[in-house]
Amino acid sequence: MQKSKWFIVLSFTLIIALLAGCAPKANQAQNNSQAETGQGTSAPGGKTLTVAYSEGGQTLDPAEANDLTSDTLVLALYDQLVTYGVKQVNGADIADTTDIKPMLAESWTVSDDHLTYTFKLRTDAKFHSGQAVNADAVVYSLDHIKNSNSGGFLYQQATIDSFKKIDDSTVEVKLTRPNQLFLQILAMYSFSVIDPSVIQGDASEFLKTKTAGSGPFTLEKWDPASEAVFKANDNYWQERAKLDKVTMKFMKEASTRTLMLDKGDIDLAMEIPAKDIESLKANKNITVRSDASNRILYLGLNNNMKPFDNVKVREAMAYAIPYDSLIKDVMYGQAKQMKSIVASNTPGFTDAGFVYKYDLEKAKALLAEAGYPNGFSFDFTLGSGFSDWEDTATILQAELKKIGVTMNIKKLARAQFLEQLKTGNVQSFISKWTSFVNDPEYHLGFLANADSSSNYVHYKNDKVQALLKTAAVETDKAKRDAQYGQIQEQINTDSPYLYMYEYNRLVSFNNSVKGYIFFPDECLRFYPMSK
Amino acid sequence: MLQFITKRIVYLIPSLIGIVLITFILSRVLPGDPALMIAGEQAPQSVVDNIRMELGLNDPLYVQFGTYVKQLVQGDLGTAWHTGHTVVEDFATRLPATLELAIASLLIALIVAIPVGIVAATRKESALDHISRVFSLIGACMPVFWLGLLLILLFYSKLGIAPAPMGRIGNDILPPTNITGLYLVDSLLTADWVAFRQSLSHLILPAICLSSGTMAIIARMMRSSMLEVISQDYIRTARAKGLSEGAVVYKHALANASIPTITMVGLQIGYLLGGAVITETIFSWPGVGSYVTESILATDYAPIQAFTLLSAVVYSVINLVVDLIYGWIDPRIRYE
Repeated sequence: MQKSKWFIVLSFTLIIALLAGCAPKANQAQNNSQAETGQGTSAPGGKTLTVAYSEGGQTLDPAEANDLTSDTLVLALYDQLVTYGVKQVNGADIADTTDIKPMLAESWTVSDDHLTYTFKLRTDAKFHSGQAVNADAVVYSLDHIKNSNSGGFLYQQATIDSFKKIDDSTVEVKLTRPNQLFLQILAMYSFSVIDPSVIQGDASEFLKTKTAGSGPFTLEKWDPASEAVFKANDNYWQERAKLDKVTMKFMKEASTRTLMLDKGDIDLAMEIPAKDIESLKANKNITVRSDASNRILYLGLNNNMKPFDNVKVREAMAYAIPYDSLIKDVMYGQAKQMKSIVASNTPGFTDAGFVYKYDLEKAKALLAEAGYPNGFSFDFTLGSGFSDWEDTATILQAELKKIGVTMNIKKLARAQFLEQLKTGNVQSFISKWTSFVNDPEYHLGFLANADSSSNYVHYKNDKVQALLKTAAVETDKAKRDAQYGQIQEQINTDSPYLYMYEYNRLVSFNNSVKGYIFFPDECLRFYPMSK
Repeated sequence: MLQFITKRIVYLIPSLIGIVLITFILSRVLPGDPALMIAGEQAPQSVVDNIRMELGLNDPLYVQFGTYVKQLVQGDLGTAWHTGHTVVEDFATRLPATLELAIASLLIALIVAIPVGIVAATRKESALDHISRVFSLIGACMPVFWLGLLLILLFYSKLGIAPAPMGRIGNDILPPTNITGLYLVDSLLTADWVAFRQSLSHLILPAICLSSGTMAIIARMMRSSMLEVISQDYIRTARAKGLSEGAVVYKHALANASIPTITMVGLQIGYLLGGAVITETIFSWPGVGSYVTESILATDYAPIQAFTLLSAVVYSVINLVVDLIYGWIDPRIRYE
C-alpha cells in the first residue's frame, strides 16, 4: 500500500518532467554574463531607455486614452495629422501648442470664413502594417473618435460638423463655428490616425489591446501590471527614432522610483513626489526638470448654498488662505501661486482683479460685514488619492479656525467623491483641473460657464456668459485675449473658486538622457529623446 | 473518506451561492459610480449616460444579477474596465505571481519557525528561547511596508546584492517557458538556469518580507503546543522507557504538537494571499493583490467579485486539506 502510493507520486512527477522537457528553454546559457551583472538594461549594440511610471495604463485606444500612461503609449505608437512646435524657454525645451506643425498632413488650407479646413496628406507615410496612410484612414479615425466615450468630448470641443474624403490624399473638415482650438485639439493623442486595414471585429474592442498606428515605435509588450516595451519602427516615414527600445516600468511605490533612479537602474522617472526632489538634486548624475504645468488646484465654494452665496464670505475666505505656506509646506516649492482660474502659462492669462493675500484681520472684517462676526461652520468634501489635497485641507482647517470658521472635513474615496460632485450638492471641495489644450477657452468653458457640467460651484454671471459666447467665435487673437482677460477679472472679483496653487510637472532623469521636451499635456514623447 | 470529501464539497455549494450574492449586493449598494471613473472628470453627462447604458448599470439590480450569474456559470468572470482585459486574462497572468510569492513565504516561514519553536520549547527559559521570543515579537509587530522598505534600502540600495525591487525577473531576461506560471518551477522544469537564478533573486526579498508575520505566529504556536505536549504523561512514560531525548521530541511529541500548528498554517495561507497586497505594491510584484486594490479604488466590480469568490474557494479547499491532514497525522481522528 505504502509502496504503491510512492509509485504514483513518482510516476506523476516523471510525466510532468517529461512533458516539460519538450518545452523549449526561454533563455540560453550565453545570457549568463548579462544576467549576472543585473544591469541588463542595454540590448547589445542598441540604445534602451527605461522609464518608470506609477500606473500601467488602461487602454491603447487613442480615442479612449484618458490617463498619463495610456496617453503616452498612444503617442509612441500613433501619429496625428498635425503636431506642436517646440520653443526654448530659459534653455529648456517646451512645446508651443499655438505653433501647429505638419505631421501626417503635409499642409492645409483654411477657408475665409474659418469654417472649412482642407488637409493635404503626405504620400510617403506608412502604417506599421505597410499600408499607406490615406484619406480613408483619416476619415475612419475621425469617425472612431466621434463615437467614442472619452474622446467624444474633445470632438465636441473641436466643434467638428462634418468631414469627408476629397481624394486619396485630401480630407475636408467642416466646423460648426470658427474655432481657434480646432488645430490644437487635432494635435492631441485622441486624434491619432488609425489603420483600418488591420482592425478585426469591433474596432473599440480591438484597439483596446492592439495597435494600428504609423508611429515611431511598435509595441512589443504591454502588461499593465508590470511593463510596456517598444521597439523603434524601422520603416518610419520620418527619420528612425534614436532609441532602439523603450521600456516603461510600472511602479506604484514612489520611493522605489526615486531609489532606482538614484541608483541608475532606470533612466527617467515620472511622478516623483515633491518631497524627494531635494535629495535627488544632490545626485550629480541626475537632472530634475520642474516645469510649470496647466494643472491647477482650486477650492470650490458652492455659490448656491449658504453662506457661500454671499460674495463677502467668499472674499473673506480668500483672505484666510496662507498662499506661501501652501507652496512651501505642502508642495516643497514645486508649485506656483495661482492668481486666476486659468493657469499662468496659458495664453491670455491675466491676474487682474486678484487682490487677495494672506490677511486674517481683513478676513475677519469681511466676515463681520457679511453678517457672520462669530464665523460659521461648513462641510468640506475631500476626495482620496492625492496626498497634497489632504495636507492642503488640514492647513486650511487650522487657518480658518483662526477667523472662527469651522471646516468639517469629510473624506470620500475617489469614485464616491466624483459621484457626490455630480449631484451638485457639495458645499465645498478641492479639485484639480488640467487644460489638455493650452487655451483659456477650454478652461473657462468648463469652469465658468453656467451651463457646463463641470461647474460644480454653480457659478453664474451674465457678463461672463455673454463674453464666453463672443470670445468663442472671435478670430482676432488680441481681441480674443482681451475678452478672456475680462472674464478672468470678473471671476477673480466674484471669487467662486479659492486658488490653491499651480502644479509643476516633475520629471527627473539621468544626465545621459537627451531630448526631453515638456508638453502641456504632460505626456512624454519618446521620439525626440536619445541616450 | 471519499464520502467525507464528497459531503464537504456538496456543503460548499450553498456557501458559494451566499458569497456570490453578498459580494454582488455589497459592491452595488456601496456609493460610487464606475461610469464617472471611466468617463473622467471632464466628460459631459451624455458620455456618462452612454457608459452606464453600455455597462448595463441602468438595469434593475435583479437583471444585473441574472446577467452576472449567467456569465459566471459559463466561466466568464466579466471584464475589468480599468485594465481593458477580461478578469480571466488578468488573473491568468497575476495569480501565479501571487501564488509563487505566497508559497515561497510559507516555505520560508515553516523552515524557520518550526525548528525555532521546537528549540524554544525544549530549552525553555534558555537564551535561545528568549532570542526567539524577541524575534517573534518583532516579526509580529513590524508593519510589512516598513520591513519591505528597510530590506530594499539595505540589500538593494546600500549593499547592492539584491536586484532592483521591480517585477519577477530582470530586464532583458525572458520569463521561463510558461508551464505552471510559477517562474521557479517552470525554469527548473526547462532547466533554464538563467531564468531560475534571476527569478530566485527577485523572489527572496519580497518572500522574506511577507513571511515575517507568519513566521512569528507559527513559531509561537509551535512552542506553546510543544510545551503542552511534553508535559503529558505519555512523554514521561517514553522518557522512563529510556528513549533518547531526540526520539521523544521528534517521534512522540512532534506529531501531536503539530495539530494546532497545522490549523494555524491553514489560516496563514489565506492571510498570505490577501496580505500580499502591500508587499506586491512595494516590490512592484505583478500579482493579484495590487490588482484587486486598484480595482477597489476604481470601483471596478468584476475583478472584486471574482477575487472574493476565488478566495472563498481557496479557503474552503484549504480547510478541507487541513482536516484531511489531521487524520493522517493523528489516526484517532476519524471522518464519520
